[in-house]
Amino acid sequence: MNHQGEREPRVLKHRLSSRLFHWGLVLGFLPAAITGFIIWLKQGSDDFVNLAMQIHIIGAAIFTVSAILYSFFSVDRIVAFIRQISDWSHSDLKWMMVGGGYAHKMILNKEISVPPMCKLNSGQKSMGVLMFHGGIFLLFSGWILYAFIPLAPKVLVYWFAFGHLWIGLFLGLCTFAHILLGIYNWSDFKAMFGDGTMTLEEASHHNPLWVENKIEPVKKECDSDSEVITACSTN
Amino acid sequence: MAHYDYVEKAVNVSRREFLQIIGVAGAVMWTGVYVATDLVQDRTKYIKMRAQGIYKDDLKAKVRQSHNNPALNEMYNKFAQKPLSPLAEELFHTRYVDRTKLG
Repeated sequence: MNHQGEREPRVLKHRLSSRLFHWGLVLGFLPAAITGFIIWLKQGSDDFVNLAMQIHIIGAAIFTVSAILYSFFSVDRIVAFIRQISDWSHSDLKWMMVGGGYAHKMILNKEISVPPMCKLNSGQKSMGVLMFHGGIFLLFSGWILYAFIPLAPKVLVYWFAFGHLWIGLFLGLCTFAHILLGIYNWSDFKAMFGDGTMTLEEASHHNPLWVENKIEPVKKECDSDSEVITACSTN
Repeated sequence: MAHYDYVEKAVNVSRREFLQIIGVAGAVMWTGVYVATDLVQDRTKYIKMRAQGIYKDDLKAKVRQSHNNPALNEMYNKFAQKPLSPLAEELFHTRYVDRTKLG
């Protein structure tokens, strides 16, 4: 019996390094965002806000280490990500105008046709642009505000603090939306928090252009302890 | 172990693109370091000038040690008895408590 025929073909959408970086964001950026709101609103006693700040700094450290490690070990994924978030066309505008069809599906319970998308849809690309640039600013300004206030000029510290607050609040809200939409897109949620794979059918539904142009079959040469698969183009 | 049949094609970075990335990254980092160094030097310049001014004033001063300050000696003679006396310790020293507040 053909074992392959018993299950649907699957595609690796999120590599291990990307999933680990995502965990770094979950354990670092998310607590920093939540505690950022607490510190801004000064909810609770002084001791509670002080604890929130300590958690904020630990989260920032985890976020920083994750970003540095990902930059060192997965330069190709960062290049791929920047290429994806920089690739905009009229399809993206059309996608945005219907909100990817999500509003129709969630509220009116009907599916409408949307322009085909690559690995990241237009909404995810927007989020990517915001998180990439905003995240770098938050990291840089955060460490200046934590460790270098005595050295930095007052005007710089003022504007860094202003930017850190408002960009942090905005990205925190974006993260909240990201979590909700991530759970709604359950197949991708399972891929990111699981083994990184999804069925080819699910990928074709959400990311048809990616399936058509950017993936290739693999030739499996792996030992039982490793997830490393040697890719082999059929062309 | 993950089982999958398809994988994303490898990302190719041409030599030109790699040099562009390294060039931009290097320019950003160098500019940041240069600006930071410049700002710190600008600030410390005035601190150093003030310190030099104070040293020059010290050279010209008649009384250059605190224990030769006549006003201080009069204060100890008439009020606090002597340096490190119990009254002097009580009035001139502070006690420290943990005031760490990060939030």
